Amino acid sequence: MILDANAFIGKWPYWPVQASSVHDLIAELGMVKIDAAAICSTRSVFVNWEDGNAEVEKAAKLQGSAVIPFACLGTTELSHAFREPAYDFDGLQRRGFVGVRLYPQHHSYHPLFSGFVDVILEDAASRGWPVVLPLRIIMNWGMPTVGPEVMHELVTRHPRVKWILAGVNYLHELQMATSLMLRYSNVCLETSCVMGYAAIEKTACMCGSGQLLFGSGAPLQLATAGLAKIVQANLSDDAKEAILSGNLKRLLGGYIA
Amino acid sequence: MIVDGHVHIGKSTRLQINVDGAMLLKIADSLHIDKLCCTDLTALFYDMHEGNRLLYAEMKKFPDRLLGYASLHSTRFGQAALDEIRRCKEDYGMRGLKIYSTPEMSIAEAAMIPIMETCAELKMPILAHTTPAECEYLMSRVPEVNFIMAHAGGQPYAHGDWNRAIMVAQRFPNLYLDTACSTVDSGFVATCIRELGARRVIFGTDIPLLDPAPQLAKALAVDVPAEEKALYMGGNILRLMGVGA
Repeated sequence: MILDANAFIGKWPYWPVQASSVHDLIAELGMVKIDAAAICSTRSVFVNWEDGNAEVEKAAKLQGSAVIPFACLGTTELSHAFREPAYDFDGLQRRGFVGVRLYPQHHSYHPLFSGFVDVILEDAASRGWPVVLPLRIIMNWGMPTVGPEVMHELVTRHPRVKWILAGVNYLHELQMATSLMLRYSNVCLETSCVMGYAAIEKTACMCGSGQLLFGSGAPLQLATAGLAKIVQANLSDDAKEAILSGNLKRLLGGYIA
Repeated sequence: MIVDGHVHIGKSTRLQINVDGAMLLKIADSLHIDKLCCTDLTALFYDMHEGNRLLYAEMKKFPDRLLGYASLHSTRFGQAALDEIRRCKEDYGMRGLKIYSTPEMSIAEAAMIPIMETCAELKMPILAHTTPAECEYLMSRVPEVNFIMAHAGGQPYAHGDWNRAIMVAQRFPNLYLDTACSTVDSGFVATCIRELGARRVIFGTDIPLLDPAPQLAKALAVDVPAEEKALYMGGNILRLMGVGA
């Protein structure tokens, strides 16, 4: 079984990407034998997070076990109106969501100074929901980033959260991630943007394979390329199995049979 | 007549906006703004087809008050983008184009040229969130298009440098400056008008992102004859869009 910790539905505004629907995504992942993917919608990133979550909910109903629905949460504040920040976490759970993604670099807030982020993280910790925090959405220099020091501070501030650090690539970024992984067993690194030579092996060597999660960034990134990083890494079969599915299964606590 | 040349409609978590035509007009009415030139946020940042359709639906609800900019989220969609501009003009009655630019994804590139040429052919002004340097690149290549530098340099990527915006606009007679921005520097609008003339300045508020009251105040505060004020407070954008006042 192969599980993808980081895939998307929705449109890509920067250049044409053929796949956008959940059918497209599942077909693309199926071609490289990826069985299921944790997804959020790019609509949540670029338009409105609530509308994107509605798309993910619908996609999960359509595709069943192939979709692992993550809710993208952003600010509830509007620039032109007063609005009390209130998240319906119970409602999200009833709708089938099993984890959270945050995109502060796309949603105009600073995660260290926005109180609602602490609310989200503490609630996620209580529910045992993994929280994906991407340093960048895909490995492309045109994309805005969250500073590694900000990620480090946020994780340290909320050590109970099951963290999935995503979008990490450069050496100093990996150093930030590995320092946290060594300190907290509930911090994982998702691999979609890790592009350095033998970087997966080195990270596994330093931290063990139990905190690495395969992620593709599909369909925005090529799923087969992301998979090759794991499949062709100089790691044991057990380590590869853990990265490709076992670790995410464990993180989701019985959600995947 | 006051016409706001720079207005956003629709949804954007990034910009913390969720607004429809009715809500915008409530704001406009409170400040005696007669018409709003709107760009849809979904079209600007995500899906041009969907967002422009959404704007068209709002325009139909308020045909005398809302004017539409077709919006593109990228220069990289080739013929589909050109077809969309044409559809927006011919089927939806939109009268301008809006496009965004960032340092990482600058529109100052070859792919923007056919978009500008199409707008020139269709007589649609382009409101572009650009820096003076980007305008210089683009206007050097398609000088015949009517191009509005959104924020007149008063935005982070342009370092708030409206003086530079004026210098570039002096070189290109079809380059216009939009007053909407967080900058309320003394002399900003007055210098634009003095150096370029009232025909080259477009009043805008950037509602609902910015508070329109200071935007209106800074534009109305300029000491010029009423006929000149009428140009930049609405006449110019209506002329560029081909709308009778």
